[in-house]
This record gives sequence, C-alpha cells and structure tokens, in this order.
Amino acid sequence: MTDNHPFLEVRNLKKYFPPRKIILENNTAPVRAVDGISFTLKEGETLGLVGESGCGKSTAARTILRLEPPTSGSVHFKGKNLASLSETELRNQRKEMQIIFQDPFSSINPRRKIGDVLREPFAIHGFKGNVSEAVMELLDQVGLSPDYVDRYSHEMSGGQLQRVGIARAIALNPTLVVADEPVSALDVSIQAQIINLMIDLREKIGIAFLFISHDMSIVEYFCDRVAVMYLGKIVEIASSEEIYKNPEHPYTEALLNAVPGLDSGLKKQKLKVRGDIPDPSNPPQGCSFHTRCPLKEKQCEEMEPALKEITPGHHVACFLKEG
Amino acid sequence: MSQIELDIRNLKVSFSTPQGNFLAVNGINFQLHSGETLALVGESGCGKTVSALSILRLLPEPPAKIISGEIIFGNRNLLSLNTKQMREIRGKEIGMIFQDPMTSLNPVLTIGEQLIETLLRHKSLNKKEALKISAQLLGKVELPSPEEKLKQYPHQLSGGMRQRIMIAMALACEPKILIADEPTTALDVLIQAQILELLENLKRETGMSMLLITHDLGIVTEIAERVIVMYAGEGVETGPTKELINNPHHPYTKGLIASRPHLGSTREKGHRLTEISGSVPTPHQRPTGCTFHPRCDWSSEQCKTQKPLLQNTNQKRKFSCHLQPESI
Repeated sequence: MTDNHPFLEVRNLKKYFPPRKIILENNTAPVRAVDGISFTLKEGETLGLVGESGCGKSTAARTILRLEPPTSGSVHFKGKNLASLSETELRNQRKEMQIIFQDPFSSINPRRKIGDVLREPFAIHGFKGNVSEAVMELLDQVGLSPDYVDRYSHEMSGGQLQRVGIARAIALNPTLVVADEPVSALDVSIQAQIINLMIDLREKIGIAFLFISHDMSIVEYFCDRVAVMYLGKIVEIASSEEIYKNPEHPYTEALLNAVPGLDSGLKKQKLKVRGDIPDPSNPPQGCSFHTRCPLKEKQCEEMEPALKEITPGHHVACFLKEG
Repeated sequence: MSQIELDIRNLKVSFSTPQGNFLAVNGINFQLHSGETLALVGESGCGKTVSALSILRLLPEPPAKIISGEIIFGNRNLLSLNTKQMREIRGKEIGMIFQDPMTSLNPVLTIGEQLIETLLRHKSLNKKEALKISAQLLGKVELPSPEEKLKQYPHQLSGGMRQRIMIAMALACEPKILIADEPTTALDVLIQAQILELLENLKRETGMSMLLITHDLGIVTEIAERVIVMYAGEGVETGPTKELINNPHHPYTKGLIASRPHLGSTREKGHRLTEISGSVPTPHQRPTGCTFHPRCDWSSEQCKTQKPLLQNTNQKRKFSCHLQPESI
C-alpha cells in the first residue's frame, strides 16, 4: 500500500432499490437505502456504523463489499477502484475483504459439517497448504475445540456458531472485515465472549473492521471512530471518544440519551425525539432529520446541511452547529 | 408494606418434547405488590416468558404442563379456575403485551375492530360507545389522530405505533396488572425510550402493577423497582433494583452486569470485557447441584452436588448461592 492511497475510501456511494410494485399504488420513487456516503478507513482501524433499522447501514456495508452493485459512487480499496475490477479480479480481492453476519444460524449451511464450512474459503481461493491443518488452526484461534469439525450447526449454540462465522471470515487473513451486527442475535452473557474474541483477533492480526451495530455502548467500546447514519446519509462522524463526549448532531445526542443506562442515578437530560423514521423512498425535504428534530429551525426544512468539519476529525451535518 | 397483588408460589412448568420432559420453570416464587414494577430478567431459555404466560394460563397444554404451584390473585388460585373464569381475568384484570407488535395484531382486521373486541367482551357497551372509548385510549397512548387510526390496518402503521396499540388494547379494561413481555425488544432505541416512558406514565396514572420481562438490565434500572434474576428455570437473586445492580450477590448477576460495556466507560488498550464462560445449559442437560456451577468462577465441590438454598441478607434481598456475597 502506498501512502497516498487510503486503505479504504468510500466516495459518495449511493444504493437505490427500485420501487416495490404494489397493486393499485402508483409509487415510482426508488428506496434510497444509501444516499451518498463518504468516508475513509485506515489500515487496522475500526469504524462503527450506527443508526436505527432502515437507516441503510447494512446496505452500505454490502455495497462497499460489492455484494450489491452500487447505484453510483466509488469504493477504493488499497487504491484500486472495485468497480473497475473484472469478476476474477474481484474474486481475488475478496480474500482480503470478508463479512461476519448477524445470525449465524442462517448464514452457516445447516447440512454441512463445520469442518466443510471452514474448508470452503480455502478451496475457493486455491489454498496450496494443508487445509485440514489450517482448519484446526482456525478453530483454535476462535476458541473452539478440534472435535467441532464433525459437528453440524444445529448441534451448537449461537455463540459457538458465531465463532465459526468469525473463523470463516478470517480464514484467508483478510485485512478488512465487515461485521454486520455480529452480537445482536446472541445472549447477553455470550456477547462479551464474541466481542473479546474480535478484540483479540484485531490486536493479533491487525484487521480493519467496519462494525455495524445499533448498540451504542458496544460501539463505543469496540470502535476507534463512529459514523452515525440517518436515512441513508452520514450525519456525524468522529472518534469514539469525541462523539460520546461531545455529540453534535441532535440525532446522535438522542441516540445516546435513549440508551437505558445501568447508572440511572444520573438522570440524563432527555432530548425528546418524536415519531418514526420517515419512508426512505420519500425522504423529507431539507435536513432529513427535521421531522423529528426537537431543535429544528426554519432553514432545516428548506435546505440540506452538508457534512462539515467543526473540530479536527469531527464532521457533522447540522445547521445549528455551524456557528 | 404494600398490598400483594399477585403471589406466585413454587411454580413448576414442564414441557414434553420428543427428547423427553424438561422443566422450563423449576419452582419460582415471587410476589407482585400493588403499584410496583417488578422485572424478571434473564437470558433466552431461562423461563421468564413461560412464567409470565403461566400466570394467564396462555401456555398450550400439552406440550406444557403446570405441574405444581399456586398463583394467587386476589383470593383465588388462578391455577384452579376453569376456562370461563380465566376469560374473565384475561384482559380485564390482567393485561398483557407481547414482544413483537408485528405479529400480535391481526393483519386482516382494522385497529378499531381489534380494540373494541376487549371492551365488548368485558363491558356492557354498544359498538359506538366502544369505538369512542377506543379513540380515547389511542389518545392516551399518545397516538396522533386516533379516529383515523381506528380505521387503519396494522400494516399501515410502524412498529412503535403498533406497540402503542397493543398497550392501548391491554389497558382497555383498566387491569390491575400489566404483564409486559420484552415490550421494546423489537423496537429501535429511540422508539424504545418513547414506549418505556409511556409505560411509566400510564403506570403512574392508573396505579396498576407491572410485571416486566426483559433481558436488558439497562431497561430494568430505568423502570423497575424490584428485580428477579432468573437462570435455567430458577430465580437466583432478587432485590430492589438499585441495591441489586450496585451490589450483586449472585455470581451470575455479577457476571451479567460486568459483561456489558457501559456508556462512557473508556477502554484501555488491551482491555477485555468480563465474560461469563460457556453457554446457557439446554433444559435437557441442566447441571446437578447449582445450575450455574459450570460457568461460575467461584464454584467448589459443594456447588457440583448440592443445590444452594435461598439466603437472605435482609428482608428484601434473597439469592441462591453457597457463598457469602462478600467472597465473590
């Protein structure tokens, strides 16, 4: 990697889905799942992508990995534009870009033994060494005993199976892993085990993570930087420390306030957000958050605020914070 | 001490499955006082939902079977009532809301048709009066333009709105007790905050008691006065929320609290979360002795063979562990 290319650069990425055809309804507007997001990721860095369901965080991740073709915009991975790669080149590149899914029960083939599931990445990418040994090593790395190779997914718990999901993702030593809500399907006592495993792997192998979650406390704990998404757009991006100490966007503040805390002695000052997330095929004019924003002003309804840097590394899209 | 609204005594519920019978709830005891919010906390499979469903006798029998215990409501044992008598309790005396508002509403009936059902069943009203009360109820749960909502179908409403409708329905006959089974788990965090606030306000207004079932200790600290922590079908610790969170006596409770990162806690490099090792035992293979011993950092020989009895530290706090709280 040369110094002038960021490790991962996402530029004005958009992903629109064609309108759902509903009988007797005349909707022609596409669903703007991801509506122009830009950010960069350094090697070995962890960026959290947070937001409510339907904000486009999962679609963003899938589009970045090119599991979905983008509508427009570009993704450069180590200086290479992923859109310009041929099928074969893209497949080759996939060794370095992997994904961990939310629900291990639906992302691991129930009819295959765990050993076979883990052998697959090696087979696809023509691994030259001893595959069985590599599989054993993988199991060891994720804290599973060797006899799991002969098991099927239904014989395992959610936590154990998510370890398999992680093992599959790291099999070919990727440099970028997208983790799409990797712990939200798991029980509370198991979540910590999986987060710890990912921290260990990150420190040992130096993987860059794009960590998608709706859980603000886990994101704060696990991520170096955080991007908050709302209706397909990034509304605030900053280092974890900064965003949790000084949230600037009213939406970020509301998200943080809404986390039910264990230290309820300090009753937080609540920024009240009313109503629901608007329909992404018909986003509001102006700032997309204005329909729910308790601090909204006249201009918010008319113009759309751009993402601006207010302090070094801290970008926010809100008129009220432009001073 | 305030009046006891509901008294659960040594409730045991068994399920028969092809792999054999197992106890989903293995002798739980608790009292719900009038006007309080009591939380049943635990991970999936710990028996919290089964306990709640047993109260309203909503478990399908078979495979479920309530094999022992008493559920005293007023001066009656709910377990000895017949179907007809139970119907008079459900919805009228004890209301319930469920986890998933998407699937608990009937998709082919309008909101109005579903709301008046409870009212018509339990109160001598005609349809027009019932609809009028329904609109008031929707106003109470802070839904905008209630009259219009009555004519809509569930799919036209968002998850948060549907949960508000479920709440309106549960509260239609002003029950003494509301059972809320993971009422916000399917909702986004901002909507969750709104629903929790609504539940608190309604509870204050009506003076009802609430039995809250959740896996989220954060929610518990926000709205419950007392907690029961469940593990593998048993209550392992109970006490006033603040005391229990600040000073857990059972190793499982302690582990649950420590394994969650708190908002605002900065992470040192190399720091790891405190984990509870292993996983929840399946109901068919519950360990002998203390059910938590294979995952417990303090387990001894005694824990493997002997089931701990409930200890009291004071009148309000109980926990089942062989150790003294100071030693964990």
